[in-house]
Amino acid sequence: MSAVENPRTDVAGGTDGADGSVTFGLTVDGTAHEVTARWDESLLTVLRDRLGVRGPKTGCAHGRCGACAVRADLGDGGHVLCACLVPAATAAGGTVETIASIGGPDGALSDVQEAFLAEGAVQCGICTAGFVTAATELLETNPDPTRPEIEAALYGNLCRCTGYGRIIAAVETAARTRRGATS
Amino acid sequence: MRGAKVATSAPGGIGASVRRPDGPAKVRGEFSYAGDLTAEGMLIGVTLRSPHPHARILSVDTTAARAMDGVHAVLTVDDVPGDRHFGLVLRDEPVLADGVVRYAGEPVAVVAAVDAATARRAARAVEVVYEVLPALTDPQLALTAASVHPDGNVYRHVSYSCGDPDARGVVTVENTYRIGMQDPAFLAPEAGLARPTPDGGVAIEVATQWLHSDQKQIGWATGLPPEKVHVSLAGVGGAFGGREDVTLQTHACLLALATGRPVKIEYTREESFLAHRQRHPGTIWLRHSADADGRIVSVEGRVLLDGGAYASTSPVVITNTVTLLQGPYRVDNGRFEGWSVRTNNPSCGAMRGFGVPQAAFAHEAQLDALAAALDLDPVEIRLTNALQRGDVATFGQRFDAPTPVREVIEGLRAVPLPTGPAKAPGGVGRSAEGGTVRRGVGWAVSIKNLAFSEGHVDESTAEVSLRDGHATVHTACAEVGQGFVTVAEQVARTVLGATTVDVVQPDTLVASAGSTSASRQTMASGTAVHRACLAVRDRMLGRVARAHGLDAATLTVADGVVCAAGRPLGPVATAAPGQTFRATEHFQHPATHPLGSPEGGMYVAFGFSAQRAVVDVDVELGLVSVVQIASCQDVGTVVNPTQLLGQIEGGIVQGMGLALMEEVVVADGLITNPDLQDYLIPTIVDAPEIVSTYVTDPEPGMPHGWKGVGEPPLVTAVPVVAAAVRAATGLPLPAVPIKPEHIALGIGAAPTVTWTTPRPADPDRPRGPVVDEEPHDAPGTMAEEGAPPGP
Ligand code: FES
Ligand code: FES
Repeated sequence: MSAVENPRTDVAGGTDGADGSVTFGLTVDGTAHEVTARWDESLLTVLRDRLGVRGPKTGCAHGRCGACAVRADLGDGGHVLCACLVPAATAAGGTVETIASIGGPDGALSDVQEAFLAEGAVQCGICTAGFVTAATELLETNPDPTRPEIEAALYGNLCRCTGYGRIIAAVETAARTRRGATS
Repeated sequence: MRGAKVATSAPGGIGASVRRPDGPAKVRGEFSYAGDLTAEGMLIGVTLRSPHPHARILSVDTTAARAMDGVHAVLTVDDVPGDRHFGLVLRDEPVLADGVVRYAGEPVAVVAAVDAATARRAARAVEVVYEVLPALTDPQLALTAASVHPDGNVYRHVSYSCGDPDARGVVTVENTYRIGMQDPAFLAPEAGLARPTPDGGVAIEVATQWLHSDQKQIGWATGLPPEKVHVSLAGVGGAFGGREDVTLQTHACLLALATGRPVKIEYTREESFLAHRQRHPGTIWLRHSADADGRIVSVEGRVLLDGGAYASTSPVVITNTVTLLQGPYRVDNGRFEGWSVRTNNPSCGAMRGFGVPQAAFAHEAQLDALAAALDLDPVEIRLTNALQRGDVATFGQRFDAPTPVREVIEGLRAVPLPTGPAKAPGGVGRSAEGGTVRRGVGWAVSIKNLAFSEGHVDESTAEVSLRDGHATVHTACAEVGQGFVTVAEQVARTVLGATTVDVVQPDTLVASAGSTSASRQTMASGTAVHRACLAVRDRMLGRVARAHGLDAATLTVADGVVCAAGRPLGPVATAAPGQTFRATEHFQHPATHPLGSPEGGMYVAFGFSAQRAVVDVDVELGLVSVVQIASCQDVGTVVNPTQLLGQIEGGIVQGMGLALMEEVVVADGLITNPDLQDYLIPTIVDAPEIVSTYVTDPEPGMPHGWKGVGEPPLVTAVPVVAAAVRAATGLPLPAVPIKPEHIALGIGAAPTVTWTTPRPADPDRPRGPVVDEEPHDAPGTMAEEGAPPGP
């Protein structure tokens, strides 16, 4: 998970308002929005407060907890990032997939979500959307992760309730399920 | 060790790894937390906080702030219509600063405005003139310094003895131990939404641990009677004690009443550190005397806890620490004393373990020091001294329920040590690879009191209804992540044979369930639900008996089926079509009594836990990797294996955090690390492998023999990690968190070992406890009794 370091200036639609606001297009979970936001607002604020997209959570607003993790393509190929670290203007013209985009067919749970429930990886659940997002990305790139690989992929996500044991078990279970389903 | 299997009486009943009913919404990101709350016409509330740990307020001018566009209210203490003070135990804390601020971060004014940016601007526009006063930041000085509050600087002084404290064996070991300030660091910062109600009252949805306590304290400040203060639980993102005190609840309600609009307050992470209560940092001096075979002859202990600016639960926490200094060991002779004091540091209160992790860290270090002095095995010395059922505590209470201390130690001993390579210390970067890494193995055992203590009423009420196999369960028990919702559902399935269960969101329309703390809600609210379910079941069976002309006494419910004399009669779901059966039942534990009362016990129940930690330490860099923690815990019965494991693992990792990395650093009264960048909680890389086993000896008087399980894993994890690091490094390490420099530079004094002439206990001394009102000595003399000062 990382912040986008270089805000792009090449995206169309950035109308500067007199009050320091910008207007730009943003696609969230498949829906195109036109957003007007203060340029220094975070993508997390845009999602939660401007668009009412509440799946990404605010744990720290400083890039330390991963509760706000989303998958986003901001012109750089797409990866998991902390929405709280992305300035809104940087997200202009981008595509964001939140936890709402993760799921099986017909509203069913994805294998990762299912495994989180089965293994008891959810307690208070405030970290869960971030973990499911990061774990989903991991298994798409590495279907058979070792424990160190799971740790390396998830160490940007904090959980204060579970002690992580059930989360690791859930990722391993989801990986097994997926390998079984595709072999 | 007894088996951990419990017969499951219905699908999804007690003993099964039932999934959380709120789980699907949580994995979809659809579960609504307090921070997600929103309402039509909602204003945003922001708090102006003191930058000074101690100052007189000469003036507060809100004129400019009130005049700003979009600002609907700016409130100071003069706008509090009711009582200006609140607090969980003593009412010593102002709702908004009243002439003086006593900690950095104390709320001075609150603002409601159309959006957060406007509210923040307005808060900055409030002009406060402070006269900065010297901050009292040393808890030792607090005892003799001028009072920083009209109620004085001592929250509580506790002192008692039992038997002959001067009895001696062949050796004494003594040392001074220090425990740092830990933040609960629940992951969802405080949030709530208040709105005025048509009857002139106020309603608040808030992430809290204790709805009725909030209701009472909001009532004090607003001047409203309880029936006009409606509290309901919003989705809670962790708590761990940090939501037991009121923070934003009263402010949001005052703003809603002042503006006539819904008002939401959501803290930032930094505010969260400033606003909620921390775990008490403390200094503990202990002296143990033992025979040559390691049997404890006497224990003397003194505790000083820094309670910070306002009382919160400091008067209660100190008694936990002092009375449980004996650990899970038989101690016939002792002298114990402690103070919790007021300073201008951040206020401390409840955090998972409630004073006992501090005690456990100290007594377990002492047991290892005794074992080392006497050349005994650390496990053997613990077995030698293990409490047994029938023993009497130093504080006079007889352990008359199962007391499986030996059993948890033996159970743990059966778990094999990890083999094979482990990850190197140093995080994902694995910065420590190579020859300076040493392995250490440590042991620790703990005792934790379960439920409220010393006369604080421990009760809950449940309303249950059943119609066509669908049960509804309503309590005021706050679900904070621990999984009470699952337990309530399991009880309804087991007792009622319900096919579906709806656990209603808690509110103050039902009687108090007390706090979700003290490992108590399965015992209190679980038992209330159990009783209400039994009453509903009996009503339903009575109806079935009349309809079938049967004797109700022959009817039972098993696996969702009504049976007559054991023969299936038909499913519960169709037993009485269209009929609704209801019951409301109350549960209260037998009364407890203050320390020293002739009436009897201070505590409701106890839980015991043993752990073994294996660590790898880079002794040059001071980095620690916790490879494995094995646990054996006294759990009464296993209600839900998966959720139980979650409590054990989560608690252990929090305790490991206190042992190795978590510390709220306070310099001159200011928190220097109020964010998750500098306040480190364990990540997935830090978390060890955890092996969890159980002793299931049912708790008398509890349905299925269940008992609280949430705190003991944390309590034991603190000393066990420290013990393993000591074993790896050979260093005394008398302070937690153990920082890299403590290891790399060898900071911290070793226990003082003194060989003594045995002196048997004077048989004429009373068994005790004998409670003294007067302090024996100032706690500042701890070091003079032989223990060199710690780091
Ligand atoms: S809220 Fe974005 S990382 Fe914590
Ligand atoms: S489940 Fe509570 S923070 Fe992870």
